[in-house]
Amino acid sequence: MRSRRRAMVVACFLAPALLIFIVYRILPLVWNIVLSFEYWSPLHPATWAGLDNYQEMLLDDDVFWQALWNTLIFLGSQPVAIAMALGIALLVNSDLKGASVYRTIVFLSYPLMTVAVAIIWHWMYNERGGLINYALRQLGIIHQPIAFLDSFAWALPSTIVANTWQVLGFFMIVLLSGLQNIPPHLYEAARVDGAPAWARFFRITLPMLRPSIFLCLVIGMLNSFSAFDLIYVMTNGGPGHATELLITYIYKEGFVSTRFDYAAALTVAQFAILLLLTWIAHRAVGGNAGAIE
Amino acid sequence: MRKMWWRHAALIVISIIMLAPFYWLLKTAVTSENIYEYPPHLLPVRPQLFNFVDVWYLIPFPRYLFNSIVVSLIAVAGNLVLNAMAGFALTLPFVGRRSVIVLLLSCTLIPFQATIIPAYLITAHLGLLNSYLGLALPLLSTIVCIFIFKASFDAVPRSLIDAARIDGLGEMRILLRVMLPLSTPAIATNIVLSFIWSWNNFLWPLIITRSQDMQTLPLGLARFLSYMEDTTGALYAFVVMVLAPGLLVFLMAQSAFMRGLTTGATKG
Amino acid sequence: MKRRTFLAATAATALATPSIAQSSKKLTFLSWNIVDQADLFKTWFAEFGKLHPGVEIEWLDKKGPDLPPFYQTQLAAGTPPDVVDLQGGIGVEYAAQGALLDLTPYLKAHPDVKARFNADYLGNWVWEGKNWLVPFYVAKTLLFYNKTLFKKAGLDGPAASFDELLSHAGKIGAGGGDQTGFLTLNFDWLYWALFRMNDVELLTPDLKQPAFDTPKMIDTLDRLAKATAGTAINKISWTGRWVEPLGAFASGQVGMLNAHSSAYFFLKGQGAWINPDTLGIAELPGNWSVPTLHGYGISKGTKDPDLAWAFVEFCTAKKQAQEMADNRRILTGYTDVDNVLMARVQKEEPLAYAVLKTQLEHTDKLCGNWPLPSDSRVKDAFYPELQNALLGRKDPKTAMKEASRKVARELRRT
Repeated sequence: MRSRRRAMVVACFLAPALLIFIVYRILPLVWNIVLSFEYWSPLHPATWAGLDNYQEMLLDDDVFWQALWNTLIFLGSQPVAIAMALGIALLVNSDLKGASVYRTIVFLSYPLMTVAVAIIWHWMYNERGGLINYALRQLGIIHQPIAFLDSFAWALPSTIVANTWQVLGFFMIVLLSGLQNIPPHLYEAARVDGAPAWARFFRITLPMLRPSIFLCLVIGMLNSFSAFDLIYVMTNGGPGHATELLITYIYKEGFVSTRFDYAAALTVAQFAILLLLTWIAHRAVGGNAGAIE
Repeated sequence: MRKMWWRHAALIVISIIMLAPFYWLLKTAVTSENIYEYPPHLLPVRPQLFNFVDVWYLIPFPRYLFNSIVVSLIAVAGNLVLNAMAGFALTLPFVGRRSVIVLLLSCTLIPFQATIIPAYLITAHLGLLNSYLGLALPLLSTIVCIFIFKASFDAVPRSLIDAARIDGLGEMRILLRVMLPLSTPAIATNIVLSFIWSWNNFLWPLIITRSQDMQTLPLGLARFLSYMEDTTGALYAFVVMVLAPGLLVFLMAQSAFMRGLTTGATKG
Repeated sequence: MKRRTFLAATAATALATPSIAQSSKKLTFLSWNIVDQADLFKTWFAEFGKLHPGVEIEWLDKKGPDLPPFYQTQLAAGTPPDVVDLQGGIGVEYAAQGALLDLTPYLKAHPDVKARFNADYLGNWVWEGKNWLVPFYVAKTLLFYNKTLFKKAGLDGPAASFDELLSHAGKIGAGGGDQTGFLTLNFDWLYWALFRMNDVELLTPDLKQPAFDTPKMIDTLDRLAKATAGTAINKISWTGRWVEPLGAFASGQVGMLNAHSSAYFFLKGQGAWINPDTLGIAELPGNWSVPTLHGYGISKGTKDPDLAWAFVEFCTAKKQAQEMADNRRILTGYTDVDNVLMARVQKEEPLAYAVLKTQLEHTDKLCGNWPLPSDSRVKDAFYPELQNALLGRKDPKTAMKEASRKVARELRRT
């Protein structure tokens, strides 16, 4: 009796949020899965395509592989950003005077509109008016300006720097919260035992931070798979496909080339890869995704 | 004590690096002459605010601002109500709880760009195209925020909840009277995050708004970009104007927000 | 109190009413990034409303990259805008997808409308023998050159052949400093004249097979790549978009620029050095050029094709076209209108006149435009490989072999 009432309450409380997700996430996902096995465009009725779209994607489409590779590089930059954020978090996690000011400054770039971040960094990289080329030339590191966003070698790292600048503060806050939740007596005990600072870091801090790091990894992963606005405005995937991510490629195939069916197959692939990576990250932190449960 | 100065030095260097793009943006926004001049001036020469005035006249800025505010307010309200309810439900034991959590988490893995066409068709069926509610609807609840509430509620002592139950309080009242008052940081986090996400949304408003009157600031930004190209300081003035309200909201709510993230992100 | 009630009321009505009013007949017009003409359009809509009582025009404008996703979603929802302004190859693409209405019967029934337009420009949107769009405003590529740099390099005029073009570019590039000889825009196939003048064909005449993997192409690429590796051709040619290349030429360090006529106003705004004595206007060797055209099309899904046609006919009529031409100093493809504009500009601004004049000449030498249902996909398959060859990332032979394979695949698929 009681449990049935409880179930009712739970259902009523969950229903509105779930409804939003079902309508705007799950249904579209199902739509994409179905579509990936069909030939379809807005003006042509769907016909069965079997595995054609997937076959093309895996065997015949270099851009898919390049976009996947770029996405993975983007993803690979996240642990670096998390390490940097951890460094900053350790620096501000003390009774340092003005720590909260530093914290705010580092975090300040996170709430920015990504389209605006892209515009700002596009300008920072400019060959003539940009601060970066100017600074590098003044310091004598380079003698000719570098067209960062037009260069095959530099374009992807340049977008990654812009992305890191934006998310660094968020990582820092998450890690900071993890640091503050570590009971101080652990450190005291270690100090009494005469453990040096590096040992305290590796034996206490890192293990205790596991849930926070996992959360950062997951958010970093989602963020690298959805850095659409940033790439769209900064380089639109160029030069060539040097900064093409899966997400920009999905968008282009769907809306620019009008191949929604093929884009659906790409979407399903991206979803599967994300699922796999989440599972790996979950295992990597010892199956204890403490952030969630 | 001895160590403090190098900490400060390191943090000051980091702060300069983090603030440099902001400075460059502001400097360009108040620059009057050719912004492509090399070498660029580190300090603005004869700074002026013409660019801001230009923007005001070129773009119906107040209208875009109003639209963005309305949409964001709806989204924030939706997030507070729906996320608090859902987060609370997830702290209760029930059959299928794990699968609900897995379902929610997998929702975060679906890129929005790939959902546009079905999302559009659904919104059209609801008759909500080109309306504020339609603009806000996909953002009415966000998964990360649900979990922030859940974590915050989990931290409320069991004894307190049990006492309330014994007093005969219904679940809704427990949520309102016990849980929420103890979760102000989580509320602040919800407000800030949902505000930022809705404020910054670009692709969805692009697709579902028809009239100029319903455009939001990010669309104005994109529009401005194509109107002026990035050839004058006016674009950067507009970027400043677009960013300012969001930053203001953040700075006002920041201390509670930081606490919210710190209690919400990890249970520890 | 008052303000608060007002705000509440506004919010409530905005929330409650979906904006698509059903009261009168409505025609939706989707334009391509031309908000600067809002005032003009509003007078047109009002006038059109007077001619067709009860008809209301809903005007939507999206910028280039945003228009396709918007249009596609509208198609999927079955509510396409009645009249749509499309740029370049995308018109034929949408026609091939079945999105557009065949305008041939209308043009047949209204020979006076057909007679308005320059036949070459109109012919750019013929696919499978049918007309799909009519010109809104037109432009094509030309060669801007920096007379000062030409003089410094001891050159007295533009090149007459590809060989000469490269040697001119080499001489200017050898001038030291940041100087480079030649620069081209690369989007929308705008660089294609360089290949066309070397008798390279992208596709076989039936448009079914790639035809560019020839010794001639390899040789051309080889020479372009060598010139790019040095200072003869500016590297931005193959990587930049719009602002970067035009900005480079406007800075006065580039000898020649291959760009369409609309670039002129940008250059003039950016380059203080620009005047009739310093800026030269010419055609590329062989008078080849690539068009960038905007046209009006009608969606097949329109509820009232005749009314939509009436709107197109109205917008392209002499008065409206003239207003458009005068406001934007742009050619419309309407021959009489363009002549009037030319006469005016000749008096006001000789340099702009020289630029616009190229747009009306040699319209039989348009290239880089294939009525393909998959233009953007073919380009997407072709260009990265071309870029690889030009920037020396791959040798031309391998790159073209690969490009040929990819283009063939795209052509097969349709």
